[in-house]
Amino acid sequence: MSVSANDNSAKVSVRGFLAKYSVLIAFAVIVILFAVASPTFLTPANLFNVLVNNVVMLAIVALGLTIVISSGGIDLSVGVSVDMASMIFVMLLAAGYGGVVGVAGGLGAALIVGILNAILITRLNISPFLATLGVLFIGQSTQQLATSGGQPIYLTSGYAADQFNAIARTALFGIPTPVLVLIVLVIAVHVLLHRSVFGRYVQAMGAQPGVAWYSGIRVPRELSMVHVLCALLAGVTGILLSSTVKSYVPLSGNAFLLDAIGATFIGTTLSRERKPSVIGTLLGVLLLAIVKNGLLLVGWNFYWQQVGIGVLVFLVLAASFGLRRAAH
Amino acid sequence: MQTATREIAVSMTGISKRFGPVRALENANLEIARGSILGLVGQNGAGKSTIIKVLAGIIKPDSGTIVINGEVITSLTPASVEKLGVHFIHQDRLLVPTATVGEAVFLGHEIGLGPFVSRRAMERRAADLLKRFFGMELPPGTLVKDLTTAQQKVVQITRALAQKASVLVLDEPTAALVKREVDSLFDVLRRLRDDGIAVVFISHYMQEIEKLCDRVTVMRNGTDVGTVDPRQTPIDEIIAMMIARDVGEMFPKRSVTLGAPVLEVSNLRLGGSFENIGFNVRAGEIVGLTGLLGSGAKEIVQCLFGLKTADGGQVKVEGRELSLSTPVKAVRDGIAMLPEDRRAHGVALGLSVRENISLASLRRYSRSGMVSRGAENQAVDGLIKELSIKTPHRDALVRELSGGNQQKVAIAKWLSCQSRVYVLDEPTVAVDVGAKVEIYNLLNRLAGEGAAILLLSSDLLELVGVCDRVLVVYRGRLASSFSGPAMNSDALLAASSGARSNTDGVAA
Repeated sequence: MSVSANDNSAKVSVRGFLAKYSVLIAFAVIVILFAVASPTFLTPANLFNVLVNNVVMLAIVALGLTIVISSGGIDLSVGVSVDMASMIFVMLLAAGYGGVVGVAGGLGAALIVGILNAILITRLNISPFLATLGVLFIGQSTQQLATSGGQPIYLTSGYAADQFNAIARTALFGIPTPVLVLIVLVIAVHVLLHRSVFGRYVQAMGAQPGVAWYSGIRVPRELSMVHVLCALLAGVTGILLSSTVKSYVPLSGNAFLLDAIGATFIGTTLSRERKPSVIGTLLGVLLLAIVKNGLLLVGWNFYWQQVGIGVLVFLVLAASFGLRRAAH
Repeated sequence: MQTATREIAVSMTGISKRFGPVRALENANLEIARGSILGLVGQNGAGKSTIIKVLAGIIKPDSGTIVINGEVITSLTPASVEKLGVHFIHQDRLLVPTATVGEAVFLGHEIGLGPFVSRRAMERRAADLLKRFFGMELPPGTLVKDLTTAQQKVVQITRALAQKASVLVLDEPTAALVKREVDSLFDVLRRLRDDGIAVVFISHYMQEIEKLCDRVTVMRNGTDVGTVDPRQTPIDEIIAMMIARDVGEMFPKRSVTLGAPVLEVSNLRLGGSFENIGFNVRAGEIVGLTGLLGSGAKEIVQCLFGLKTADGGQVKVEGRELSLSTPVKAVRDGIAMLPEDRRAHGVALGLSVRENISLASLRRYSRSGMVSRGAENQAVDGLIKELSIKTPHRDALVRELSGGNQQKVAIAKWLSCQSRVYVLDEPTVAVDVGAKVEIYNLLNRLAGEGAAILLLSSDLLELVGVCDRVLVVYRGRLASSFSGPAMNSDALLAASSGARSNTDGVAA
């Protein structure tokens, strides 16, 4: 036994290395596979397209969900927040209001969704799952009622289009505005969740709500803040979405829900402490976005893409688990 | 004595069990005879529940012999012991709340054909059994969660009887029952005894032991110190057997001068739990509070921390009247609480030592909402050192620490808050002896620094060893107050079981 001790420790450190960087290795493997399969995949134009169209909006919604999931809750109504912001924003522009009023109105609509969630969860003590599910149903019907059964609103030219372009088609130092918005929000949420007193309270509520309450933390107030922030972040995505497609399409926000939850949990699973984190969520979003784009370029149709995403997510997680277990 | 003629159902001899450095059982013996009711008494930590858990197959003993129905048993599991006819009614109800009475009675032994369960047959059989043994009639299909605690106990016993129990072990079965329910439970147990069943009855209530049991085995310090007939042995003598008198060094002595009253409670009441509660705790004073389960002592402590809202009365801290409606306010007002359920309320196992310690005092280490890691680390490191918390580093998860060290983390959380009043709810439960002494030292130091300490405990030795004064709650009222030489565990035990009262000192 003692003879092989050295040998073993060397093996352990190789495994340790693999475990530590398993996520990056998995990423690299996926990127290489797609690069080989599709010549356009690794081109700057494509990567830029992935970033602007697949990453930014999903990532902002996922940031909000990261806060909620850290607190031990869930928000199934993020799609409604996206849609409400989008709807009010577009309606205000259609009515001739300026971009600033439109954005403020859109975020205000998302804020109302967040406050509704907060009241249901902290005042009426409804579980976050059921409360936000109820708001999801109500929000979807509201949109259909407000748009005569789900008629989209297109504002592809004129004054409104200029306002949209000012948000989606501008850039600062060559960085598109939506990407800048994402960068600012990532830093802000990271600081909030991992550096601030509020973030610490959120983590405590998520880890053991009883302990938070017994430590004198105003759990209802902090939890309300959590849900309001999540809805507001989803609202930002709603504004960016409308600005990009120059329209409001009812019920389009729900597309973000499962991807955002998936990205957050992928991030949680990959993180060493098994806790939701901003960095982990970003990795999850990138993984989903790259796989989607890659499968599209390889020529898979939409339905097979879903299968591919499912399988790849399993493979990455399984590889990460396997390597981690091997390291112990 | 008719011992010779009695048939032995269960015989446990020379049972020893260690948990790390702690001796839970040391050469303990227990003999359970058919057709008799055996009482099992002892202080908390004497080994009662450990030896019962050994018999239940939950804990594996390090050594010893177990003979059940004349057969030497080498390994016990909870399932195999039930097959041998030994059934346990545990203190906390272990019934599925959403099951019907029939389902609960036949859980694991469903009546039916193959994979199909006949719910109707189970309800009918359960109803028959309940009526036959207890004269109890419930509407068919009643859910367990809709039953009273007494009815749930009855359902548990019925479950054991339905499976032809030959030995029935009841752990504190009367704790949550009212007098009438206790009487009918006793009738049932006597009837079972007359049918030849061996009954083991664990209780803190001496009068119950005296009234019900044929024999009583007394445990102390992990071993059985004697088995007597409770009808011929005075209660005082049994209590004397229960209490070890050689634990002086466990409780560090201190000398303090008491200051002004810090915590003043007057006329506090909570419907159904307690009324007319009034006492003071002075700066530097450690006041004990004790009472049996259901006496109201626990609820008093919960009201002081805002976990329950009192119906009336006054609570003052340093002369300022508090409105204790939530723990948020209690913490603001300088009250610290060490809850009994450490894992649910005391420490977050999934957070680090650092995050736990600073949780209640983060504002101190933060500026404009941002935590200053430097200040936090410095304070946390100081407390880790001061309380000698054994942790690999400040960022280790609390889950990785021992029970005693987890408890120290829970205390450290309040030290960094600089609270004025410390309310401790069973602070040394599931804590090893070494850590206990450290916690006692810590209480002494806090008191020495002028804090007011209220210690709720059911460990009478601990109360006598640590407190300046002990208040005993009996059936929702402050029954007695003890201090000085009058404060000893015999008196406390007698007062909390209502055997004796000493009301002259309550107002102190």
